[in-house]
Amino acid sequence: MTPTPAALQPRPSSRRDPEGITEAGPGRLALEPGQQYRFTFDMGACIGCHSCEVACAEQNGLPVEVSWRKVGEIEGGEHPHTKRFHLSLACNHCLEPACLSGCPTSAYTKLSNGIVAHDADSCIGCQYCTWNCPYSVPVFQPDRKIVTKCDMCSPRLEGGFTSACVDACPTHAIGIEKVDVATWRLDHSNGNAPNLPSSDLTLSTTRIVLPANLPADTFTPNQHHLVPEDAHWPLIFLTLLTQLSVGAMATAVGFRRTGHGSTAGTLIAAAAGGLALAASLFHLGRPAVAWKALRNLRTSWLSREVLAFGLYAPLAMATALVPSLGTVAVAVGVIGVLTSGRLYLVPGRPAWNSRVTLLDFLLTAAAIGPPLALLAIDQPSAVTVWTTMVAVSGLVLLTFANLGRLWLAGTNQTRGTVRLTLHRFRMLTALRATLAVGVLIGGAFSLGHSGGQMMVGAMAAATLMSSGIGRYLFYVTVVPASMPGSSFRGAR
Amino acid sequence: MRKLLARIGDMVGTDHGGKRYTYGNDPKFGPVSTSRLPSHWVRTTCGYCSVGCGMLLGVRDGRAVAAKGDPDHPVNRGRLCPKGLSEHHTLAAPGRLTDPLVRRNGRLVATGWDDALGEMVTRFGRLIEEHGPESVAVISTGQLVTEEFYALGKLVRLGMRLAHFDGNTTLCMSSAVSGYKQAFGSDGPPGSYADLDQADCIVLIGANVADNHPLLTPRLLENRAATSIVIDPRVTKTAMVADQHLAIRPRTDITLLNGIIKLVIDWDMIDHGFVAEHTEGYAELADHVQQFDLDRVERECGIPASAVAKAARTIAEAKRCTVAWTMGVNHSVQGTETVALVCALSAITGNLGRPGSSPFSITGQCNAMGTREAGFTASMPGYRSYENAHDRAELAQLWNVTEDRLPLVRGRAYPDIINGIIDGRIRGLWVIATNPVVSFPNRDLLEFALAKLDTLVVQDGFSTPTSDLADIVLAAGIWGEKEGTFTNSERRVSRVRAACRPPGNARTDFDIFMDVARRWGVHDDLFAGWATPADAFEEWRRVSHGRLCDYSGITYERIDASGGVQWPCPTDEPVPLGGTPRLYTDGVVPTPSGRVRLACVTPKPFSEQPNRRYPFTLNTGRTVEHWHTRTKTGEVPILDSLSPQAWIEVHPDDANQLGIRVGDTVRVSSERGAIDGIGVRITSIVRRGEVFVPFHFDEMCANRLTLNEFDPVSREPNYKQCAVRIDTGAKGR
Repeated sequence: MTPTPAALQPRPSSRRDPEGITEAGPGRLALEPGQQYRFTFDMGACIGCHSCEVACAEQNGLPVEVSWRKVGEIEGGEHPHTKRFHLSLACNHCLEPACLSGCPTSAYTKLSNGIVAHDADSCIGCQYCTWNCPYSVPVFQPDRKIVTKCDMCSPRLEGGFTSACVDACPTHAIGIEKVDVATWRLDHSNGNAPNLPSSDLTLSTTRIVLPANLPADTFTPNQHHLVPEDAHWPLIFLTLLTQLSVGAMATAVGFRRTGHGSTAGTLIAAAAGGLALAASLFHLGRPAVAWKALRNLRTSWLSREVLAFGLYAPLAMATALVPSLGTVAVAVGVIGVLTSGRLYLVPGRPAWNSRVTLLDFLLTAAAIGPPLALLAIDQPSAVTVWTTMVAVSGLVLLTFANLGRLWLAGTNQTRGTVRLTLHRFRMLTALRATLAVGVLIGGAFSLGHSGGQMMVGAMAAATLMSSGIGRYLFYVTVVPASMPGSSFRGAR
Repeated sequence: MRKLLARIGDMVGTDHGGKRYTYGNDPKFGPVSTSRLPSHWVRTTCGYCSVGCGMLLGVRDGRAVAAKGDPDHPVNRGRLCPKGLSEHHTLAAPGRLTDPLVRRNGRLVATGWDDALGEMVTRFGRLIEEHGPESVAVISTGQLVTEEFYALGKLVRLGMRLAHFDGNTTLCMSSAVSGYKQAFGSDGPPGSYADLDQADCIVLIGANVADNHPLLTPRLLENRAATSIVIDPRVTKTAMVADQHLAIRPRTDITLLNGIIKLVIDWDMIDHGFVAEHTEGYAELADHVQQFDLDRVERECGIPASAVAKAARTIAEAKRCTVAWTMGVNHSVQGTETVALVCALSAITGNLGRPGSSPFSITGQCNAMGTREAGFTASMPGYRSYENAHDRAELAQLWNVTEDRLPLVRGRAYPDIINGIIDGRIRGLWVIATNPVVSFPNRDLLEFALAKLDTLVVQDGFSTPTSDLADIVLAAGIWGEKEGTFTNSERRVSRVRAACRPPGNARTDFDIFMDVARRWGVHDDLFAGWATPADAFEEWRRVSHGRLCDYSGITYERIDASGGVQWPCPTDEPVPLGGTPRLYTDGVVPTPSGRVRLACVTPKPFSEQPNRRYPFTLNTGRTVEHWHTRTKTGEVPILDSLSPQAWIEVHPDDANQLGIRVGDTVRVSSERGAIDGIGVRITSIVRRGEVFVPFHFDEMCANRLTLNEFDPVSREPNYKQCAVRIDTGAKGR
């Protein structure tokens, strides 16, 4: 709970917009019940000077890689009637903050004054909030290995001063005002602007005053300038190894049921599960406090994933000793794979945000798990080979069908993903498809009882490589939703 | 062991570095990052552009840790642009020079002041002895304090008796100076920023204030009563917030102004009283502009006749019209004439010397005005003419020297000094606080010239591409380490204070000048009793007394009391505490007749028109994040990250034709040179056939392309138009 700011010093003001508060004043910031603070932004008044960004960095002593407030550009119209407007945005202190609901450690709090606050002590640096926020507001701060973000200069508000960005804006384009939460929940259309994700997603509260002469069609200077996202190698390993483990475990358990079982299959599946958990630690900025990821089972799919795999890994190992636990282990594992897939369904990452991701993860488990189990068990099995072949073909078909869907969705982000997949990463995409064809050929030989374990081994390797490339592309080709960028600064 | 534990703790994240990110409370400005929490604030003036924003520099443990706008300053009312807000970072930047350097065996090595200054005096002395005082020249800047400019002028002209002394102000405002002289008989911007608040019509010609003078833009936006008209080929940030934008073809401003004057005359909307009493040459002007009918204006300027008529109507009907301009006008071989024409438009509409009504040059550098007034380049100190017998006698008497000690002529202007080096007459050059390698047009030729020098001395606070070529480098203190005054565009004299000491063995420019004077044996003669810059200011006050730029009533105390004093401020006349807001309030100007000379100007097409080999017209300019050649702003991480490289703006249709896309890199070349690997921005803010490149960058230097053509009077370069081509090849970045 933050106290209502008191004893605010009045400052001379030459504001343009009588509704906005660009200067703190006594009583002006005292909240009535049902109100919260929010930023306002007058697009017609902004001259794109970036003073707010610099003032924010100075106020918070931020390193150069980290900006809590960013100024983006949108442009439209034809010379000499061209219009370029700037959009200066920090945190939108949403009514339904996606950063907060997704955070596995409950590091985020919606304060009574509406400010979405972030607690550094709780943060484990998993960066899930950076995916969840459709505006790319929270940023990973490399020197601290945690995420940090705008808190509307809470210490300043409490001290009776206005935020640094508001204070610095030469044209008073940025302000802070009070908003009635219930009213805004009903109508938040004034939170929208061209090239900005819809305020519907998280009920962003920043009120944006659009200029009257806004061109009908606008673009952002960075929208044709696609920069691949981080590959997140620990996550590639985490997701592939868990799917490998669950797929192999299911195969091994199936063999046991038909009486051909050996513990080798179970063991290798359990080992993959253990490795996956180890890999996940490398993704965290602060692995020492990884346990905090279990704090938000109530709303965070990441917490749920951690719980599911946290249960699955020991169960998988126990199965090697107590085979009857196998069915439970597989069930928990499948739940794990589904929670794992579910956490990618975030509006901030449009290319991921569909059930295709769930299907992808399940099919991957079906594709890469069985050949591995087969190698360990050393038993021919037509069903298993068929499963792999169907899953691998399914994955490739799914990918291309999804690219079609993303293209038709028609947004800069979804089309950006298609462009990255088919243009920038065309070699990898082709290699992935070629490997899948290789798997089918190998499978056909295998079904014809030729090649033996060598052929199964080759199939396993090709399947794994094809899926590995697929997963790499999954991470690097996603184009995040965000506020508009500028020529030199993208969304991040 | 503890270190190792801390290391491991850091790796696994037991510590998230929160101790480095705490907040403290500043009594004046409130809670702020502890890293930016000062123990006290030093009141000063920003050291970038000539808007002259009042600033408070926060100091802790002898280091500047924060910069804030001075809430009490009349110019900026507490706000700053991004450069000002981060200016404290320039002081401890890694690129600072900490020791004087001398070239030994081809390499610059750190040395002591005795060695460096001793060698400078010996080498310059030998050149003068062998080749005369014509053989050594000085190029200074617009960024020292007035006290230093005054001292430097005396040192160079009376002490070292060098024939050629100019500043980088010739690359910037000299057309405004000579245009003012042509129209009004003297330099001196007649208006004030307050005019922007009070006008009902504001015309900005070739002035992108939103990028270049950000803190003037709020005045445009907040003056709701005024109609703003921006004249600029490019749809700049400023054009976008204007009420009317005339996107004329490059360098058709003269045609446009003539056309507007014709309309005002045709409509009989001139100020007959002012024209009759205070101008001369009206009949000739009225006759001259008859050839500029609307058809011609529309054809040549490339804008609809209706837009021209609308703008002319707005200007004609305005009760208070301020016409302001910057480099779009000055950076032209017809710069002087264009300025004179702007003054003529203001005069015939009676917009001179009244609140909200003036022609007004918005200056570039923080103290370009100081060197115009107190320096010894285009005129003698106090706007005194080299040729005027009365001025010479007065100055000689003030300084207690014989008149023959004063130079008879101005000497070579900046570009002519460069030409003098090329033709071998100038062999020694002392460059002070400027970076010609990046800022002078036609870099190839400039580098050729500098390589020919016998001795190049560079005095600067930073290691620059020019200091890299020097034989002797003098490590100087910069803004934030020096005491004195700056004078801004509106003639407002503000205080500049030292917040910390120059780094290492660097010394203030004032100290260096005094030391050179001692070694030259002229200190006691010229600077007897001088200990600090304040002594120079006291003498300058006496020397300026009675002149248009009268500082005699301005004291450091008065500046502190008012937040800045506008000259003229004679000590013996009643002047408001903050000085004189505007000149020529009685309509009388310092021409021999006391009347404004109305100029008849004929437009000439710029020399390098687009052609088959070079089909695009290149325009150059600036961006808000950077200042000049980035010696300072390139060292501030956040400014550098906001705009780390140059770019070229290309119209979408041209981009299509060239087959280039956003983010591609191209080669841009002119007859004189090329820039490789420059990133493309595809944007409709430029007209088809025109491209734009910002000039700040050394690595992708726009001045490799620009033309070394100069205004015949002001000697200002024509940076704004030359022909270039774009070649694709290198893709992606």
